[in-house]
Amino acid sequence: MERRPYFVFGDVLTSVGSGGLAGLVCAAVIGTGWNMWLGMLVGMALGMALAMVLSFACLLVLFGAMEVMLPSMLSGMLAGMVVGMAAPMGELPAAKGALMGALIGVGVMLFNYAMDAYLSRRASPWTS
Amino acid sequence: MDELTRQRTRAKWDAAAKNFDVMSSRGPEKRWAPYKREFFSAMRGRILFLAVGTGLDIQFFPPNCQIVGIDISPKMLEQARARADAYPGKLELREMDVHALEFPAASFDQVFTSCTFCSVPDPVGGLESLRRVLVPGGELHMFEHTGSRYFPFNLMLNIMTPLARRFGPDMNRPTVANVERAGFRIRDVRHVYLDVVKAIVAEAPASTAG
Ligand SMILES: C[S@@+](CC[C@H](N)C(=O)[O-])C[C@H]1O[C@@H](n2cnc3c(N)ncnc32)[C@H](O)[C@@H]1O
Repeated sequence: MERRPYFVFGDVLTSVGSGGLAGLVCAAVIGTGWNMWLGMLVGMALGMALAMVLSFACLLVLFGAMEVMLPSMLSGMLAGMVVGMAAPMGELPAAKGALMGALIGVGVMLFNYAMDAYLSRRASPWTS
Repeated sequence: MDELTRQRTRAKWDAAAKNFDVMSSRGPEKRWAPYKREFFSAMRGRILFLAVGTGLDIQFFPPNCQIVGIDISPKMLEQARARADAYPGKLELREMDVHALEFPAASFDQVFTSCTFCSVPDPVGGLESLRRVLVPGGELHMFEHTGSRYFPFNLMLNIMTPLARRFGPDMNRPTVANVERAGFRIRDVRHVYLDVVKAIVAEAPASTAG
């Protein structure tokens, strides 16, 4: 599990930034007239695409490779999914979408750290 | 590997060479530095290093080793030259495809790879070539990113692969299984990040037959 402050900061920025950006844009794009399932699918795809752009534009260069790409895409996808489903159900300001996305990012980061702590022990040979 | 695939692989990595250091030399290399230093500290005897890339790994090699470094991409090797010249030991760079190694059988005591088998077009074929040039019982040390066994990481890696493959590596290869398929015996697998970035140590069979 990562303990160096610079990279922990990068991990927070990656998950919160990707989730926040996905939430912000999805809340702005997906409106109350949308079908909820369509909103969800568009939100997931858009969230993931935005996270990928953010990663390649700056996060990867600064903070790591797979350590950035996986949490970033996961945060973007989940934030897009949740905001994409919430936006059709009632008025959702972009700032609230961003906040929801950022909180999802925090959740993704904690999940990632927990999984990393569990898996970073010596592994058995059958692991792919 | 056929000639067209070889040319395409070379062209892809030649194209990637220009921006490779910008993308990799800070975030990824700094993050992996402590793990790579420990990983390369096992270098002993006659060593084949695949693939050199722009030579970012050379900073982690212990001094005074006897290493031949190969890569399929001349543009990558061009950038690696200065780093290789600064290495305090013997480090020879050669342009070569892992599927067609120009070394006699049993030429090396150890083979090291770093983020390579995500990129080699025929991974099992490439690993079999490495087995041929290793002495019986020789060691294969790999620092690689691979696919994951766990949801949702495997889903993300599968989604990324078709796009990533166009410009660089695959993200979802079963590298440990490929090492076994190529006839090596796995000695150790250590996770660096999740079950995605890992260090693998394997051993060539005591007899090179088969
Ligand atoms: C992701 S880069 C890694 C470079 C370096 N090891 C590093 O970590 O910075 C993959 C490298 O594998 C090389 N490569 C791909 N296919 C190859 C092959 N068939 N034979 C030799 N090298 C190959 C590419 O040219 C490229 O330099």
